[in-house]
Amino acid sequence: MPVIHIRMDNRLIHGQILVSWNSAFKISHIIVTNNVVASDPLQVTLLKAVAPLTAKVSVLTIKDCVAYCNSPEAEKENIFIIAKYPEDGLAMVEGGLKMPMLNLGNQAFVRGSKKISNTVYLTESGVKALKKLHEEGIRITCRMMPNDPDNDYWPTIEKSLPEWAK
Amino acid sequence: MVGIVLVSHGNMAEGMIDAARMIVGEMEDVLAVSLQEMDAIEDLMGRIEAALNEVDTGDGALILVDAFGASPFNASARLAMQREKTEVITGMNLPMLLELAVQREGQDLETVTQIAFEAGSSSIRTLSQTMKKN
Repeated sequence: MPVIHIRMDNRLIHGQILVSWNSAFKISHIIVTNNVVASDPLQVTLLKAVAPLTAKVSVLTIKDCVAYCNSPEAEKENIFIIAKYPEDGLAMVEGGLKMPMLNLGNQAFVRGSKKISNTVYLTESGVKALKKLHEEGIRITCRMMPNDPDNDYWPTIEKSLPEWAK
Repeated sequence: MVGIVLVSHGNMAEGMIDAARMIVGEMEDVLAVSLQEMDAIEDLMGRIEAALNEVDTGDGALILVDAFGASPFNASARLAMQREKTEVITGMNLPMLLELAVQREGQDLETVTQIAFEAGSSSIRTLSQTMKKN
């Protein structure tokens, strides 16, 4: 499978990715996908500059990310996708990307979000997006580090934010 | 004088200042900013920017960060690329900060950055290498 992991992480490429995830998987290509980030030349330059020696970095819109991952080129690679928010994950699925699992990494506080844990705050629209993904049969996990358990995180969301998850 | 901002995961940056104080005493225009688990990058950027505005008295500022590519670096780099006279150096260590404390007065940002780079990298040694030389 060319796409080995899909992570929603506001911090995009950072220490946990470069050190822990990069040593746990043989990542050959990190794709950062979020429409706002992809249109910010400063962030694109910086994300490419922090590429590990063993992987290339692309910064793509959601549409381009899905198209690339479904192309023959992607077959030969081990792709690690990092998007910013749960809504990005839903947009990828609606755009035609098949995924068995979607992992929540750092989801920092934003206006209107509610806390689930120290590292995960979700907005109503984020919870709704995750609900749709869950209903599509996609397993939602919440692993900061590769060694964290990959149990189903949806029940935790449902229990923590029932007003948005129902 | 070029201002200094230290940015790290957890409390390393405060710890660096605390440690340096034991050797060189109080330092002027040096501030620490910490990344906490729940921080958004934009919050971290806001705190770094506030610290830069405080330590930069017109000669610019040097940001010392713990690790290349990690969030303290990413946030600092995004700010530095949009500011005048702001440089970022990675792999901060105590000898780097100490050298800045005693040598940066009267120097421009480029020279101060060079001082930090040389002090930081040349300070990494092993005991056995040191013994062989003597």
